[in-house]
Amino acid sequence: MRIRGLTKSFAGELALDHADLDIERGKVHGLVGANGAGKSTLIRCLAGVTVPDAGSVAIAGEELQRGSPQASERAGLAFIHQELNLIPHFNALQNMLLGAPKATRFGMIDWQRSGVAARAAAERVGIRFPLDARVSDLSVAERWLVMIGKALTRDASMIAMDEPTASLSEPESEQLFAIIRDLSAQGVAILYVSHRLEEVLRLCDRITVLRDGRVVGEAERGALNKKGLVRAIIGHDVRTPDASTRFAADRSKRPIFSARDIAWKSAVKGVSLDLYRGEVLALGGLIGAGRTELAHLIAGVTRPDAGRFELDGKPLEIADEAGAVRAGIALVPEERRSQGLMLQQSVGFNINISTLKKLRSIPGLPFVSDRKARHQAEALVADLGIKTPGVAAKIAGLSGGNQQKALIARWLNAGTKLLILDEPSRGVDIGAREEIHDAIRTLARSGVGILVISSDVEELALLADRVLVMREGRVTGELTGADITEARIIELSYQDANDEEGDDA
Amino acid sequence: MRAEVATPKDAPLPRKSSWKRTALIWLSRYGTIVGLLLMVVFFSINAPGIFLSRANFLNILSQASLTAIIASGLTYTLVVGEFDLSIGYVASFVGLIVTGLMAYEGLPIWLSIACALLLGAGIGVLNGLLVTKVRINAVISTLGIGTMLTGIGFTYSAFPIATGIPRAFTDISLGRLVFGLPNPVIIMVVVLVALWVILNKTDIGQKMQAVGSNLEASRLSGIRVDRIKIFAFATAGFCAALTGTLLSSLLGSGTLAAADGYLLDAFAAVFLGSATLREGEFHISGTLIGVLILAVGFNGLSIFGAPTHFQPIFKGGILVLAVGMSALARRYAATA
Repeated sequence: MRIRGLTKSFAGELALDHADLDIERGKVHGLVGANGAGKSTLIRCLAGVTVPDAGSVAIAGEELQRGSPQASERAGLAFIHQELNLIPHFNALQNMLLGAPKATRFGMIDWQRSGVAARAAAERVGIRFPLDARVSDLSVAERWLVMIGKALTRDASMIAMDEPTASLSEPESEQLFAIIRDLSAQGVAILYVSHRLEEVLRLCDRITVLRDGRVVGEAERGALNKKGLVRAIIGHDVRTPDASTRFAADRSKRPIFSARDIAWKSAVKGVSLDLYRGEVLALGGLIGAGRTELAHLIAGVTRPDAGRFELDGKPLEIADEAGAVRAGIALVPEERRSQGLMLQQSVGFNINISTLKKLRSIPGLPFVSDRKARHQAEALVADLGIKTPGVAAKIAGLSGGNQQKALIARWLNAGTKLLILDEPSRGVDIGAREEIHDAIRTLARSGVGILVISSDVEELALLADRVLVMREGRVTGELTGADITEARIIELSYQDANDEEGDDA
Repeated sequence: MRAEVATPKDAPLPRKSSWKRTALIWLSRYGTIVGLLLMVVFFSINAPGIFLSRANFLNILSQASLTAIIASGLTYTLVVGEFDLSIGYVASFVGLIVTGLMAYEGLPIWLSIACALLLGAGIGVLNGLLVTKVRINAVISTLGIGTMLTGIGFTYSAFPIATGIPRAFTDISLGRLVFGLPNPVIIMVVVLVALWVILNKTDIGQKMQAVGSNLEASRLSGIRVDRIKIFAFATAGFCAALTGTLLSSLLGSGTLAAADGYLLDAFAAVFLGSATLREGEFHISGTLIGVLILAVGFNGLSIFGAPTHFQPIFKGGILVLAVGMSALARRYAATA
């Protein structure tokens, strides 16, 4: 595939600026860049969802028709987006055959015959679960396999994958990498888009770096290390974790927040933890270890079956989310778009929504002062360095990192005592991630209890002052100070809970 | 008006596709207003004596006022992302009951009206409870409640209540207390201003908009989502009751199913309004524009002597067109 001079602008701003790219059969091609660098736009142009303003795409010498998803599919291009386009209540086979011509018998779909190609594809990607399993019952990793199987069913010659490991656990990711290598050995070209640079460096034969819509770097495997890659992406070096900056909280004092023997269904099995003033406490572990469920229990989204919480030494009864917020517990959720942002609203609206009472013109009367609202939003935008044309701009137009900062800003004036951040830098570029980490650290030092959940071990090592590792609903280990390394976190994540000497922190 | 959302900083590139885009966006924002103005100009030129008169304008406004009141209540339920199909039936039912309270039960006018409005709000609260607590889909629950109201109204009085209604009650809608404007117009202005202020200038209004934008995010922001939705339904019920009461006053009788038709008018108006000024968001000023389009349209149709069966064609057509425009506007907003 040859891409030449691909250009696309939105509302006068160039999202893609004469991008050239060659993708070869049988190669894994990495595409990296900060958010807003033009990766998604490039992929959308290839998929025919977005019509480029200029430039051409040729596949095996043949020009690809612009802006036609059908033409892209016929040309053998397949796309797997972060949000997998699967129909949850269809089974795996139905999903793989979705939109594909199916064999019929007396006008009815003959699933046996139609499924031949799909079954062969399933074999190739190593699907071990039955194909008649409903997608809603499958894990995220298994869903990925279904998506890849779907692409192969259509004889895709190039598969573009957008952030495939964002919601995969470590072994699941490894499994996916094996499949990707397999596919490329079979002659399929893979366009691999990811923020996880180690993965990209390990997996990809060739890496293209995008910045501000332009191709700013290209390298073969081995020609670039992580530092070089980071520099290419953001234009400067990034800090390495330094154990001496880790904050050792005074644990003889009363904890800000503690949980005792919290249990919920089969996901959380008797978790206890204490959070001390000034520290960033992080929960590490694999997807499905029960961390998000625990966060939901603390934030009042769900109610625990057993156990109790204490905030500032006082027992805490939380009826629902609103109750938690009133008590001073806030959650910045893992799904930014679906659980955090009010996308059609302005930046200011999104920041102010949890503090409306404080913004009243006259206390006691329910009228919101436009002036106070604007001032608060502007101050927080400045504090957190949120890049936006103004507080009246729609939040949908901001990059993921800036949206995330706005969601954090929402809680800064809300009297928050405990802020839980679930995957705070998922889908956020490196530069913004650093700024988010700084903001989180500052908050912690100022006395707000901070509980971070992250599946990104690098992030845990960079950010946390103390790490609790969870596995299968239990806390299986604790790391402090210099012990917080990526290797140790991963080790503990896989450790069998039964082997552990009951170190429940 | 809430601070207008910032538009892209730079002028669009001088390219054909951008021009077309800009034009479409412009049309989806201002198309309804332009349409309204075009209608007014057209009728003014073609029927200058009849259309372009103070009496006719007041007539249009009076007709619009009842629709505007019920439609702005409906706007609230749509803002919070719900639906209310019971409003037409609520208006009819309350319109019947309010006359019954005066004619049969002998209650004073003010008390009858107060009871009627409370009844409407109460039905709204019931709708809200069914939707939020029992979690019945709003389309189904409000349709069910509305249908039940028709039956209950029939049980209460199978015949129109026309005798025993005090003169003072009918005078409410016929009188002109302020600036020589018909009272319903004044009431409409008061209701619209109040609803606009609540929606745009108060906590609860901001929370309603938040709930409509993202339910889950609103919950996590500490908003008591159920209460907000119930408030929206209660407002819709209250406004429907007000429209029903005014209609009975206008007709001088309480008649079964008299206000059922307002349901469709209200929906057409609200969706037209959502395609006005903002991209597919429901808002009070838009709803008013939508109502005026309908009222001017009906007025024009009758001036030109169009047969009455043209009205449903016009109404239905406008509804489909309005929902279509609203959807288009939202799509452009999403891709912008």
